[in-house]
Amino acid sequence: MSTTWTQKHKPQTLNEIVGNKDAKQQFITWLKSWSKGIPKKRAAFLHGSPGVGKTVTVETLAKELKMELVEKNASDYRTADAIKRFAGLASQYSTLFGGNRLILLDEVDGIAGKEDRGGVRELTEVLKTTRSPVVLTANDAYNPRFSTIRKYCLIIPFKKPTVRETVSHLKRICIKEGIAADEEALKFIAERSGRDVRSAVNDLQALAQGKKRLVIEDVKWLAGRDRKEIIFDVMRTILYSKDSWEAKKAVSNADVDPDMLFNWIYENTPYHITDPHDLVKAMDYLALADIYRKRIRDTQYWSLLRYVVDFMSSGVAVSRQRTKSSGWIPFRFPEKIRLLSRTKGERALQFAIGMKVRRKCHMSATRSAKEVLPYLKIIFENNPEMAAGLSNWLDLDEDMIEYLAGNKKQTKTIVAKLA
Amino acid sequence: MSYEMWTEKYRPKSLDAIINQKEIVDRLQSFVKAKNVPHCIFAGPPGTGKTTAALCLAKDMYGKGYREHLMELNASDERGIKIVRETVKTFARTRSIGEIPFKILILDEADNMTSDAQQALRRTMERFTETCRFIMIANYSGKIIEPLQSRCAPFRFSYMSQEDQDRYLRHIIEEENVKILDEGYDAIFEVSEGDLRKATNALQAAASMGKVIDAEIVYSVIGRANPADVNEMIKTAMKGDFLGARKKLREMILKYGVAGSDIIKQIHTEIFRSMLPDSWKVTLSEAIGEIDFRLVQGADVEVQLSALLARMTEAGQELSRGG
Repeated sequence: MSTTWTQKHKPQTLNEIVGNKDAKQQFITWLKSWSKGIPKKRAAFLHGSPGVGKTVTVETLAKELKMELVEKNASDYRTADAIKRFAGLASQYSTLFGGNRLILLDEVDGIAGKEDRGGVRELTEVLKTTRSPVVLTANDAYNPRFSTIRKYCLIIPFKKPTVRETVSHLKRICIKEGIAADEEALKFIAERSGRDVRSAVNDLQALAQGKKRLVIEDVKWLAGRDRKEIIFDVMRTILYSKDSWEAKKAVSNADVDPDMLFNWIYENTPYHITDPHDLVKAMDYLALADIYRKRIRDTQYWSLLRYVVDFMSSGVAVSRQRTKSSGWIPFRFPEKIRLLSRTKGERALQFAIGMKVRRKCHMSATRSAKEVLPYLKIIFENNPEMAAGLSNWLDLDEDMIEYLAGNKKQTKTIVAKLA
Repeated sequence: MSYEMWTEKYRPKSLDAIINQKEIVDRLQSFVKAKNVPHCIFAGPPGTGKTTAALCLAKDMYGKGYREHLMELNASDERGIKIVRETVKTFARTRSIGEIPFKILILDEADNMTSDAQQALRRTMERFTETCRFIMIANYSGKIIEPLQSRCAPFRFSYMSQEDQDRYLRHIIEEENVKILDEGYDAIFEVSEGDLRKATNALQAAASMGKVIDAEIVYSVIGRANPADVNEMIKTAMKGDFLGARKKLREMILKYGVAGSDIIKQIHTEIFRSMLPDSWKVTLSEAIGEIDFRLVQGADVEVQLSALLARMTEAGQELSRGG
């Protein structure tokens, strides 16, 4: 529950990493060339937009080639001093156990700010003299700050995978999670993520975790990564900040439909505020916000919106008193919206049957759908003969018969008796 | 073989055949004799014969071609003001051909009409009295605005007596050759609570299974037809599973279309029937009352009732701690 799918479904082999065939090949060739002696370029510089698979390529290849991977992140090379500390590692040929070492300097974008100009010089020194392969990753190797470093590196550009490639990755995850996902839905996620695979996987988890089926309606609301990010950020603030002012500000500043936001908060609050006492408070505030929503609808007095915002942000935020935080819980798409769109067709059919009943039974279609339809269902499931008779009498079409009968086989039996 | 819904097949075809509501039937028959009908309100619980009485009145009055002189409208499907302006007026203002100079308009489930639509009806009723008489049917006459009430003769339908229901159902059982045990028959009585339509529908659905009807069959039929298992939802909440309870609530509302007012009414009953300490009953009742009022005002059913479920979850926790 608390692992992210980006971790859980991280590619295990180079083949599972989607896209960038050329880049991967170039990288493999360079890394393998170390077995024949130190190559001209002692470092490789993988660059490309976020979530295209730079780091995971390094990690996976190191594993496949049984190399010891030494990962360094931003804090390790912020300053010249920090770089000197691991420079020693690079000066050795190999590990104690005879394996080969691969040094990864991940996300070097942060390096070479004004305060650590010495850092670049130090790093350049490491790259010139290292006796183990060094890999750097960044979003853009052509940023001027890398001009000195670049000379000593083999530049390998990573491109965004195609939508199709992204979808194939999502599909693999869905299969492992036992989710039957529509191609259309996955395509939508892939496109909306801007072909950022990591972000697409995160979206997939938020939308599909715990479900058996994923259809386009489930993902349609995701009208752009920004909007989703805004909603998630706001919710994180509301559900986890103790500062009610901050929560309120988050909602006020978020440029999203307040009704949509309300539904998100209403859906997710009980998953995060679990102590019953806290939950009573939080749900009370949400109910109060709902009252004000209704008042706005009635009076069109939009200035009342500020109270809706108060209750659904600060109200929920201050309710958290006794609840202890418990790891990472994914945010869920509002079930209410999902159910409404999913049951729309069903309700239309129910009403259509209701209209048929109304013609014969002197009661409204609305009431027929509620009060007569359940009995019809029982009859249609159990007694094809009576069902056929009633179908004739009510003048039901085959869709209606199938809805009442519940399955195709029974429908066939009934229809056969219709003539 | 031909089949109908038994509620229609066995619906009385003339006022004579109506077995209950003796006083009401007597008066309606006197209208037929005089060939004159005032505007009427038929009020009373569901399944007590209101619609039947109105239909029979029209049949007895106009004879075979009664359909030409009658219009049935259903306020639940067409509750807006537009329907009054257009459909009702068009029908009401044209004179009927024949011996009787007026038509009859049955406005069923009239308590579901918006008050605007009811206001609009006021004028129509007055202007076209010569050519059209209204029969408004409602569960509660209180939901019909005063000015309309004062223009109508009120008829209050009450629950059928046990004997009358018995006579009606026995007749169907005989005609349809239904095999039913005494316990099954008693169960139908118990669950239909005086609503003859419900009893008849339950009987037909149970009979469709093709087995001898026992109590178990009846309960399973009724159970499936009434998905609002409020009791189960309350239990789930009390056990501390708020999310589970909310899910049940959602299904009731969105999947089965149960009305919020019905759910809260049942919650109220169940809470007072439960083993909770009295102090908690009162505490919860306070919350229930408040939320009931909010629902009447038109607040969101799920959000409001969820707040109530949270209270129950809290109550359940306090109780298990011995509080």
